[in-house]
Amino acid sequence: MTLIHEPDFGTPAVDSTDSAGLATVTVDGREITVPVGTSVMRAAREAGIDVPSLCATDSLKAFGSCRLCVVEIEGAKGTPASCTSLCSDGMVVNTRSDLVHQVRQGVMELYLSDHPTDCAGCARGNCEIQSMAATVGSAEVRYGLGGKSHIEETADTSNPYFSYDPKACIVCSRCVRACNDIQGTFALTIDGRGFDSRITPGGTDFLSSECVSCGACVQACPTDALTEKSIIELGMPKRTVITTCAYCGVGCNFKAEVQGEGADSKVVRMMPWKDGGANEGHSCVKGRFAYGYASHDDRQMNPMVRDSIDDEWTVVSWEEAIARVAEGFKAIQAEHGVGSIGGISSSRCTNEEVYTVQKMVRASFRNNNIDTCARVCHSPTGYGLNQAFGTSAGTQDFASVDVTDVMLLIGANPTDAHPVFGSRMKQRLREGAQIIVADPRRIDLVRSPHVEATHHLPLLPGTNVAFVNAMAHVIVTEGLHDEAFLRERCENVDGYLEFIADPEHSPEATAEVTGVPADELRAAARLYANAPNGSIYYGLGVTEHSQGSTMVMGMANLAMLTGNLGREGVGVNPLRGQNNVQGSCDMGSFPHELPGYRHVSIPEVRAIYEDLWQVPIEPEPGLRIPNMFDSAIGGSFRGLFVHGEDIAQSDPNTAHVEAALRALDLVVVHDLFLNETARFAHVFLPGTSFLEKDGTFTNAERRLNRVRPVMPTRVGMDEWAVHCAIATAMGYEMSYDDPSQIMDEIAATTPTFAGVTFARLDAEGSMQWPVNDAAPHGTPTMHIGSFVRGLGKLSETVYVPTTEVTNRRFPLLLTTGRILSQYNVGAQTRRTANSLWHPEDVLEVHPSDAEMRGIRTGDVVELSSRVGTTRLTAQVSDRMQPGVVYTTFHHPVTGANVVTTENSDWATNCPEYKVTAVQVAVVTEVARSEAAEGAGSADSQDLAEVRA
Amino acid sequence: MSHDAGPDSGHEPAVLRMGSDIIRQFAHWKDPDHAAEEVATHISKFWEPRMRRELLSLVRGGHADIPPLLTSAAAHLVDDDINHEEMQEPSGG
Repeated sequence: MTLIHEPDFGTPAVDSTDSAGLATVTVDGREITVPVGTSVMRAAREAGIDVPSLCATDSLKAFGSCRLCVVEIEGAKGTPASCTSLCSDGMVVNTRSDLVHQVRQGVMELYLSDHPTDCAGCARGNCEIQSMAATVGSAEVRYGLGGKSHIEETADTSNPYFSYDPKACIVCSRCVRACNDIQGTFALTIDGRGFDSRITPGGTDFLSSECVSCGACVQACPTDALTEKSIIELGMPKRTVITTCAYCGVGCNFKAEVQGEGADSKVVRMMPWKDGGANEGHSCVKGRFAYGYASHDDRQMNPMVRDSIDDEWTVVSWEEAIARVAEGFKAIQAEHGVGSIGGISSSRCTNEEVYTVQKMVRASFRNNNIDTCARVCHSPTGYGLNQAFGTSAGTQDFASVDVTDVMLLIGANPTDAHPVFGSRMKQRLREGAQIIVADPRRIDLVRSPHVEATHHLPLLPGTNVAFVNAMAHVIVTEGLHDEAFLRERCENVDGYLEFIADPEHSPEATAEVTGVPADELRAAARLYANAPNGSIYYGLGVTEHSQGSTMVMGMANLAMLTGNLGREGVGVNPLRGQNNVQGSCDMGSFPHELPGYRHVSIPEVRAIYEDLWQVPIEPEPGLRIPNMFDSAIGGSFRGLFVHGEDIAQSDPNTAHVEAALRALDLVVVHDLFLNETARFAHVFLPGTSFLEKDGTFTNAERRLNRVRPVMPTRVGMDEWAVHCAIATAMGYEMSYDDPSQIMDEIAATTPTFAGVTFARLDAEGSMQWPVNDAAPHGTPTMHIGSFVRGLGKLSETVYVPTTEVTNRRFPLLLTTGRILSQYNVGAQTRRTANSLWHPEDVLEVHPSDAEMRGIRTGDVVELSSRVGTTRLTAQVSDRMQPGVVYTTFHHPVTGANVVTTENSDWATNCPEYKVTAVQVAVVTEVARSEAAEGAGSADSQDLAEVRA
Repeated sequence: MSHDAGPDSGHEPAVLRMGSDIIRQFAHWKDPDHAAEEVATHISKFWEPRMRRELLSLVRGGHADIPPLLTSAAAHLVDDDINHEEMQEPSGG
């Protein structure tokens, strides 16, 4: 495939359904019909008529700055800019008149007078100035090149991924507008006036600025001023592969732009794909830039074995490694029974790879001891939404937020954890929508440039259900509920209304527990209930609690009460943590369900797979991950296959997890790196990065995106083929010619995927399940007209306090989260320059708690819970409320999970990461002179050290 | 940075901790027997057989910390007196 140049129509498309009809215009003698409101530039370019421009791009509103796109319009004075001129019926436009030509040449001359004649970007094809000069016919610069210019200015190379060179800048404002309008960070501005004007990231360099390195400015820049360092280093790419990001659950599509072929392929840059259904051309710092881990030296390229976890690794062939796995697992089963081994599938891997892991376990291991890392994040979403609606998935697509009026955001921090969707939320908020933030921490969406939450409800960790019940109580007792919707579409209406109207659920009664003032909660409930379109978005701050599943059902109750389901702009929307959490759950990774969420005890469902696979399927549920750990310590579980998950770092109560891993006779790790879990492994099987995979990911909006290989596997075997080889070596023959056959098998056996094939995905770009005869192109919005389960189920969500409570010994509550630049356990992002922004996890402590303990920013503190102790650097911050401390878990050295407990969601065993009673004490004081000088955050200190 | 492994919190059997977590969600039900049936159904639906056997063993052995509702649920498990229709409903999680 060659390099794909996406067409740029100069200004955004106008939705024909929103416009006031169509207009027919004549451009250079050609009649063109477009929606009213379309720019003349776009109309011309859609018809194939090239209109030159520098400041226009179709991801941004027209700006009318560069004056290169001028045209003549009959009846209009002068030469208006075509980007800001809107089509009207009967308009006659001339884009090629002599006058237009002269004006453009004159303007272009001015640009050339301040542009390097030896512009490296122009030479390499990454700068539009010289090519635009050729287009408009500017061959000379009458003003000379010796006057005042910017040619002596030095470049800002502080950002690890891109540089800013003022010499090449034409101050077209595309970067500023991209930062404002698309990303919503407002980090860039134009400093100075007239000839002195220049782009600046707020009076500092890019690295130290508010810039979040999303790359939107670099993408928007028409010159070489903002350029990826990889382009400067490697030159321009030669070919494009459209694929899907392997970070969060947004599932952004990218153009991987590549040099070389086959094994010599090298990614030069990742460009967000404008036609990407989830991201529509936007990206974040992780997806856009942090792909270097795939070629990091730490990556293990060969299978390795050892007899004991105290031995050194020995590199072996694939054949020997697979034989070792098969013989080891068979020997364990022979001695300890069929149920003594199991596997864990990965939410970072493709649907096809997940499917082969669970098939390997069910058909070859002959048990249901298969679980997925979704266990520790969104398993309550699957349970709760299935209980309420009949489907273990969110109800909307991301575009739905564009027409919402009030967002209720609970326990999620999208600008850090799901940045591209966070930007989309901010776009909608700037258009006038309102947001209610229910979160113990003051996240950026509470208040940031041009965004301010109408209500921030800083509820205490562990009180979600009391909070959501109070919201529902207000809605019901104040008569704000949608009676007609309830009567038509829901069950247990009277029972639930009676339950929730009880005064024990009132905001006044629950305020002491939740910490949320009753008046504020009442106002928030009224705002959500009265919104024409009210939507709920949530994250792990909902699920990772002892009542995670109950809270999901509570939110579903809120949506049903207010009729906020079954159309655009509403719904209950989980923001999935990893790229394929949804898919890994869909593919039958849960130990009690076959693909498509069908219980293993159902004979008719088992028969589908027994007929196809020609083996009996175990009708009893298998072990969940924490059950595997307990059974390992108990001695009945002896062998574990771990696919793409670092359980030793990510799962709670590290001491317990490590004890379980040490108790196992055989641990097989299939991963890119020798991660923390590999310390306990006997066989290591090298995995493939997303750049080598062929398959699909399913994002948080149920969207199946294609993952296409940029290069062949670098380790000699595709992951799905490894699983097939293990199964075959254990006596169950399992093989496919390529991953499309795996999807064909999924489609043939799973009703919600019935219409999915690689060919159809390639043709349509992406599809949201269900994809079947009733919805051949997919289902962006679920539950229109009726719920999948028929009637929506209103559950009486009784608040049951967690058993993890504070006391005099552990008086603070620890809660955890993510930061923008890092991702989960950091296996990927720690191996990129993203660590410049976050080289270590820090503990945020409220000033009053810090003062009581003599803690200052930079101090090393000891963090102790009932199960363990670790040390971190403190950061005094009023983002937290008194009594609550916060940290991230991106670095293994921090050991955040050393202190988290085995408490878990009652229904799903999802760990209660978000509530741990702790104490904090100073271990090593930072030099007081630094603190006294207000040295700022630990992060800024680290940045200064790195840059020095 | 450094950390020390702390003591294991699992002093009580895991199945007992998990069972207690489940019954707390049903303790408010007005009909205790119906609640016990629901708990038993949940355990049947999601627990691996060896976990169920361990729970029943603890109940039969008269373990001191078993709440009454969990004991009642165990009786439903023994009698297979559960909601079989709900067993077969999709659940996720």
